[in-house]
Amino acid sequence: MRIAKRVATHVILIAACLFALFPIYFIIITSFSTLPIASITAHVLVPKPSQLTLASYHAILYDQSPSFASLLENSLIFAGSAAAIGLGLAAFTGFALSKFQFPGRRTFVYFILIISLFPGFIMILPFYLMFAKIGLIDTYIGLIIPYSAGAVVFSGILVKNYMDSIPDDIEEAALMDGLGRTEAFFRVLLPLCLPILGLAAFLAFIGPYTDYALANVFLTADPTKWTLALGLYNIANTDTGQQNYGLVTAFAMLMSLPIVAFYMAFQRYIIGGLTLGAVRG
Amino acid sequence: MADLRDQSLRFRLRREWPAYIYLIPTTVVLLVLNAYPIAYTVYISLTDFGTGGPHSYLAYRYIGLTNYYTGFTTGASISWSLIENSFIWAGGSVALFLIVGLGLATVLNQEIRGKTVYRTLMMLPWAMPAFITILVWDNMWQYETGIINGLLSQVGVAPVDWLQHPTTAWAALFVTNVWLSFPFYTVVFLATMQAIPKELYEAASIDGAGSLSKFVHITLPYLRPTIIFVGLMGFLFTFNNFYPIFLITSGGPGVSTQIFITQSYKDAFELGGSPAFSTAAMYSVLDFLFVMAITFIVIWRTDLTRNWLK
Repeated sequence: MRIAKRVATHVILIAACLFALFPIYFIIITSFSTLPIASITAHVLVPKPSQLTLASYHAILYDQSPSFASLLENSLIFAGSAAAIGLGLAAFTGFALSKFQFPGRRTFVYFILIISLFPGFIMILPFYLMFAKIGLIDTYIGLIIPYSAGAVVFSGILVKNYMDSIPDDIEEAALMDGLGRTEAFFRVLLPLCLPILGLAAFLAFIGPYTDYALANVFLTADPTKWTLALGLYNIANTDTGQQNYGLVTAFAMLMSLPIVAFYMAFQRYIIGGLTLGAVRG
Repeated sequence: MADLRDQSLRFRLRREWPAYIYLIPTTVVLLVLNAYPIAYTVYISLTDFGTGGPHSYLAYRYIGLTNYYTGFTTGASISWSLIENSFIWAGGSVALFLIVGLGLATVLNQEIRGKTVYRTLMMLPWAMPAFITILVWDNMWQYETGIINGLLSQVGVAPVDWLQHPTTAWAALFVTNVWLSFPFYTVVFLATMQAIPKELYEAASIDGAGSLSKFVHITLPYLRPTIIFVGLMGFLFTFNNFYPIFLITSGGPGVSTQIFITQSYKDAFELGGSPAFSTAAMYSVLDFLFVMAITFIVIWRTDLTRNWLK
């Protein structure tokens, strides 16, 4: 009985791991495969060494228009600016909401909380109509503004919750030493918040980095401003039924690489930070 | 008494006023880029912008609740389907998340060899951005060239045209969504389970309780607040989870997997040269009415705001 239970446990866990890993394995293998799309069967999953190639990567890096480098550069501009601006604002917001007991605080907290629960996607239409009116479509700044706005609310919540866990004594000690509140914030509190700021920056970066819906609407006329997400969508677009799986997966690999590397390096922080608020009781 | 309160308010203001300075930029963002667009969307939904003939792109008119009225009374209207689909999508997904998450957490919460390895491998779907993996899943579900039918043919099952039938299209969406989310639910439930005092289980064992009885009488009650919290938040999130539906089924076949948020996007941006902005706005408004309702349930049923206001 006990052995049966142990075997069942491992069978369930192995099945769960296979389910979790299969798409990732598929992406890796297919991106290196020489096999043509038409013959995509299970055989592809166990390729011989002679069937492996870097051709798909070569095609993605050198034969695309707009070029992969240009897409990457744009993604870094959009996501980097949004993360920086959003995080700067979020740090002040978190500080004000966590360490001050000003009149109106409750109202503000409720307001930002409710805003944070609204899906960003419903903002695309009003943003489009507003920004078209003032000529910000197909510009860098036109897309950086909504991306930053998206980061402020979410990161503000993360920073506030984290600052709540830092004892007030620390700030008070700094004030006793003659620092002003703003100084105490920059020199004492902010350095203590680095882990959560890192996580917030990572999440604020991923949002724009993987955004298709907004970029697709805002960057229409000018392919030189296109991002990686737009590039990947165009390659993977299934409307034609002719997608080249080698190209799709090689692109997916290259685009995921920086995110996966960051995730692997800070896995403990990221998982801890994201699940912290959810563990209750 | 009134004096005292005034004084404390004045005192508080003197000490706490810098907070207002820090909040100015964020307040501007919240008003200009959140509150105003929402109000603007509500207004557009009350006009004939894009749905009142060619003139309506240049000079749209206020038409009151006409869009809503026709949206729910016309025979060909899809509003009811959108409500139904949004709830199927969110409710079905959350039910699966809870079942899979609780099941795997229970299995992992035992003394077993290789526990860390299993947990680390299971977390890997999290490492890749969802947008990318959803696109790959979309390719995997394709009828002729997809790897899922490729695998099925290997074990002698006839290929299924997953995305062309409502039932199998939903199945494809749910499987993809479970893949995207089960690591989160498993980790959260496992962390909660590990906080349950071991003595409780030992005492129950002495009293002769079996595994199932221990799960029902000890584990579940302990997990209740977590289940309610992540269940409601998961529902709220999935209700508006755009990319799986947009990228895999595009709401099809027909509108059988279409939800508010994807229909709104489609009306506004995917109708080629003649976008229907007013109905797009209406679906957005209906969407956030539901979001508001669910949000109130969240606030009422969980300690979310209590943690927030301390």
